[in-house]
Amino acid sequence: MVTNSVVVIGGGPAGLEAAASVAELGTSVVLVERRGFLGGTPIAENYANLTPHMESAEVAMGRLIERVTSNPLIDVRLEAEVSACRGAAGAFTITVGDQQIDAGSVILATGFQHFDPGAETQMYGYYEHPDVIALQDLEAMLKTHDVVRPSNGEPPKRLCFVQCVGSRDRQIGNEYCSKVCCGVASKEAIEVRQLLPDCKVFIFYIDMRMYGYWENQIYWPAQEQHHVQYIKGIITEVLAKDGRLLVRGEDTTMGRPMEVLMDMVVLSVGMEPSAGTRSMAQLFGVQQNKYGFIDSVRAPLDTVTTSVPGIYSCGAALGPADLEDCASSAAAAAVKSITSQRLRVSAG
Amino acid sequence: MSMLAYPGGSGRGRLEAVIDAGSALLKAPAVAGFADVPFAEKQRLVDEVMADMRYPDYLYGCYECGICVAACPSARFYDFSPRRIAQASAREDVELMYQQMEEDIWECSQCFSCVRCPRGNNPGGIITIMREVAVNNGLGSARKALEGYTRIIYKIMSTGTQVSPDMLQPDAFPDWGPEVKDVSENLDVWRRMLPPETMHTTSTGWDVDPRTLIELYLIWFETGALDMIKKVDEGLHMILEEVMEERLEEEGIER
Repeated sequence: MVTNSVVVIGGGPAGLEAAASVAELGTSVVLVERRGFLGGTPIAENYANLTPHMESAEVAMGRLIERVTSNPLIDVRLEAEVSACRGAAGAFTITVGDQQIDAGSVILATGFQHFDPGAETQMYGYYEHPDVIALQDLEAMLKTHDVVRPSNGEPPKRLCFVQCVGSRDRQIGNEYCSKVCCGVASKEAIEVRQLLPDCKVFIFYIDMRMYGYWENQIYWPAQEQHHVQYIKGIITEVLAKDGRLLVRGEDTTMGRPMEVLMDMVVLSVGMEPSAGTRSMAQLFGVQQNKYGFIDSVRAPLDTVTTSVPGIYSCGAALGPADLEDCASSAAAAAVKSITSQRLRVSAG
Repeated sequence: MSMLAYPGGSGRGRLEAVIDAGSALLKAPAVAGFADVPFAEKQRLVDEVMADMRYPDYLYGCYECGICVAACPSARFYDFSPRRIAQASAREDVELMYQQMEEDIWECSQCFSCVRCPRGNNPGGIITIMREVAVNNGLGSARKALEGYTRIIYKIMSTGTQVSPDMLQPDAFPDWGPEVKDVSENLDVWRRMLPPETMHTTSTGWDVDPRTLIELYLIWFETGALDMIKKVDEGLHMILEEVMEERLEEEGIER
């Protein structure tokens, strides 16, 4: 059956923005979310405050969720997964649970997952040392204003971030930059310094990618106001030593090797396509790049069109993205998902 | 001995000593020609640098871009880097800052070419402060760097001028050419050819009123310059005190 409704898959920042935009343009939406709640990774992973403006993730996401749940044109299906898709652009039939949903177009907003720093090539001891954590683990601590060493419950006196964990690494296969980790680590570094003024905070990096305004919004305040120490050089391994963590690397700009003791090590893990992105890409037959993210085949000026007519994608399902990118591509996908149907109808 | 000369981090014992001292980063071990002091003393010196009212205007963040080094004349001749000065300060690296106060800061020519920093840093200014702290605390490097000035300070205090015409001796300045010999042999005549009568002198640069010496001494005394001299050269300080004792007594000045 030909219909002009849109199915959005994924209830994170991109999916919510896409669903809200489609509905606000007057088209009905079915929003399918695997989890039992909306908000996606920022909520599921307990993000404290969003980069770069530091607004509470719950507040910011709450506003977006409210925009979706208050709109009568949006039918939200929680704990629901798409298991099949038949038909073609303008007349898809999508199986969700035991129901068949008709849709003119589909938006895949299935997002990313954090790189698992326990991968075998990583020598950071994420699963070995309790005081080695990842960005999202620190987010959860910041959310409850309780940054302590998991091993003994004491606040750290020295804490460092290790950048590019799971990104820009040919050995792992993730040769891309995950874009947001520099900003998120710098933001968290500021928050740690604010919460624990006696804690020295270091960021070990390859190069800081604080593009655009993030430079002045996060990077320089971190360095100049909060005295976060940026050291160019990547940590090769983390070792337990006398109840603390010994990190080894090179202080490249000073031209010296270094071994420094830390109380906590935060791994700035990158982005990988989520399990949902991988499985939905396969189910809908859209082209993926070598890393598993969904290809936008008409880039750069069209960022949301996939290789299958009628199927669009947005947010971090397309590749590493910050929230601004997610919101922008979501709105673009919303417009395309509607206009493609109207053009098809008017073309007869 | 500079950071770049640091030979590759061998020797675990030294490494751990540094880490236990709480240094932010590994610094070169004490291979340089200056005395090591307890960490608390280094921290005290660094705190004194950072407490200086100029310090916040001289140090912001550092891109580690190297533009200051590219502009620095000293960097062409010495293993000296204004970038490392700014970085060590930005990192609050106590060990390294101490090392720089004992070494690097005396290789700077204080030309301030480094102020072209895109972040507005002033590595030369940080060095000015570090030098002052080094002098005020009588660091070995300050004493060594100022050794050559002992004679000059003595000359100023005892005569009121820094250089005098009779210092122009052929042996002392062979590079000035054969004219020096002629000038030095007839110094008195040459000096009397100068229009201002106050310059018809040979053992001082010009006529100095004895009162000037008293005032100079009192300025040095009140501003703490004499205390500074005492820190870096106690012998010189004793001589200056002796030189001035009688004059001050004559003038009826009590300190």
